[in-house]
Amino acid sequence: MTLLDISNLTVQYLTGGGLVNALDSVSLKVSENEFLAVVGESGCGKTTLGLSVIGLLPESRRVRGSINYKGKDLMKLGQRGMRDYRGTEIAMIFQEPLTSLNPVYRVGDQLAEAIMVRRIRKELGDKATGEVMNKVYNTKDINIPPRLMRGKQRVLSDVKEEMVRWLSLVRIPDPEQVLERYPFELSGGMAQRIMIAMALSQEPALLIADEPTTALDVTTQAQVLKLMRELMAKVSTTILLITHDLAVASQVADRVIVMYAGEFAEDSEIHDLFSRPMHPYTQGLLNCILFDTKDGSSLSPIHGSVPDMRNLPPGCRFAPRCLHAFDRCQSNRPLPVTKENHHSVSCFLYGK
Amino acid sequence: MANENLILNTVNLKKYFKIGRGMNPFSHKEQRYVRAVDGVSLSIQEGKTVGVVGESGCGKTTLAKTITLLISPTGGEIHFDGKRIDDGRVNRRDIYRNMQMVFQDPDSSLDPQMKIGDSIGEQLRGLMGYSDAEVKKTVRESLEGVGMPRDLADRLPRQLSGGQKQRAAIARAISPHPKLLILDEPTSALDASVQAQILTLLVDLQKKFNLSYMLITHNIAVAKYLSDTIAVMYSGNVVEYGPTLAVINRPRHPYTMALIRSAPVPDPWKRNILQAEIKGEVPSAINPPSGCRFNPRCPYAEDVCKTEKPQLEETSLSHLVACHFVEKTAAT
Repeated sequence: MTLLDISNLTVQYLTGGGLVNALDSVSLKVSENEFLAVVGESGCGKTTLGLSVIGLLPESRRVRGSINYKGKDLMKLGQRGMRDYRGTEIAMIFQEPLTSLNPVYRVGDQLAEAIMVRRIRKELGDKATGEVMNKVYNTKDINIPPRLMRGKQRVLSDVKEEMVRWLSLVRIPDPEQVLERYPFELSGGMAQRIMIAMALSQEPALLIADEPTTALDVTTQAQVLKLMRELMAKVSTTILLITHDLAVASQVADRVIVMYAGEFAEDSEIHDLFSRPMHPYTQGLLNCILFDTKDGSSLSPIHGSVPDMRNLPPGCRFAPRCLHAFDRCQSNRPLPVTKENHHSVSCFLYGK
Repeated sequence: MANENLILNTVNLKKYFKIGRGMNPFSHKEQRYVRAVDGVSLSIQEGKTVGVVGESGCGKTTLAKTITLLISPTGGEIHFDGKRIDDGRVNRRDIYRNMQMVFQDPDSSLDPQMKIGDSIGEQLRGLMGYSDAEVKKTVRESLEGVGMPRDLADRLPRQLSGGQKQRAAIARAISPHPKLLILDEPTSALDASVQAQILTLLVDLQKKFNLSYMLITHNIAVAKYLSDTIAVMYSGNVVEYGPTLAVINRPRHPYTMALIRSAPVPDPWKRNILQAEIKGEVPSAINPPSGCRFNPRCPYAEDVCKTEKPQLEETSLSHLVACHFVEKTAAT
């Protein structure tokens, strides 16, 4: 079943240097319980895509298109309406876990707050979140003490139990003691696991992970990715992984969407993508990572570099770097065509 | 391994940083040390590459800074081009003519207010004493050497892309025609397609100028591509050292094995990291575990690992491993 249906999403940023076309008519569908990876190089619009879904784009933007989540257009909700979805329905984790945590509160305080918000929301149903937040902080009529943070004594024992349960789920050793720590006392891997625990404690239907392991060491990265893959089954959530690393995607994802310079390039089941990459950019990207040693190697880089987003080529955006480009690519924009196995690609080599 | 064509050779090199007493010389706090580099012996042959692989905090960048004399070593010896250079009596200009460094982030290693050509030219005047005409000519040659159009010499760093900036940093490093380049994570800040361009450029330059490289990286695939020899560092020590293919295909130290298994391979049929079993994280260098520093994370650890620090020993031809249980790891 389709959980998220993005169609013709276009995002432009107004900057001092001109209009930046961060996303151009991108359409994609995410099914329930799917592990989808969005892969692309810096500036391809993958983070903009994640931020659009959760409604955190900066003010200086122009947006067109629609984002349907469970049949409801998120773009029409506005900031207040979006609060009912953000966190509880759609959660997001970011690249730098230590900048996502508040440095002046203990881990336990921050995790308790997230859990309390979820509980009160459940109690009040889907009412406006402003009301929920007021309840968290000045509650009299609900069975929860005010400002329960700051000090372990004041946290309800079952909230604490739940916190310990989430931290154990993300494999934090000695969770009770970690709850008392400040973020600066954590390693990067631990902080990222706490962010995952905090996001999952909301029991979101969709988890957007924006480069969750890029700032981590490889051994820690392996642990975090393995954890995400395992948790997906355990808490039945859908994961949208945003990454620049095709190798990471190949390790965990079911399906991959490749983006280039704000455009959709290719969408395929993961094995299909590696055995039969269709878009010349995907082929080039694979040639850039499937290398061996300098003596026995076939490392063939894509020449040139990503275009300036303020001044894009008129036709296919990959055309200036493409080995197969012909006249039509220079002037016309290709549209996605779907081949067998739901494998779709935006390239004139395959029609349209 | 005394050999005539060794370009660089370190013997038991150490770098400790003092911590814990702040600036107060009368502090009663105990003097403690971060043992960032704790007895590293490496050698690089002319025209070859040694890859130093390890995770953050293992001391690989400190090792590079110590070798380039940007910080002075606490102990041990550094021999470069047949001379000992760590005793403070050498003229650094002589060294930097033959030893240059390329850093990870070109945004912070290139002066944002200087044109690319001036960034490259500055050291040619100071280090080599070139005249204006010679500087101009060498800047042009260096830029062409790294595949950049020469009119980019008049641009500022912010007018270039990430890959171009890193090319400019490499152009600056090769401009005095050095013998050794220290590459500290040269491609980590770059996108995959640009990383491939820089890697092929580095191989071409090595062949063309018979350069020697010391490559510092956390990326096993990059180390495998560029290096002839790999040294794996963990918590300030080299734990495995040998020919690239031997280390990658037949790793013998449990840490190297875990590192290779944790590195994602671009292959959806072989999901290695979902099978990775490594637990825990890199220990603090202030208070490292006693004995073998990997013992709290090691699946093979026994009591002896907690008390005795294993030494690097040759397990097969020029393949050195520091582990008490190399027999056990060979079986896997």
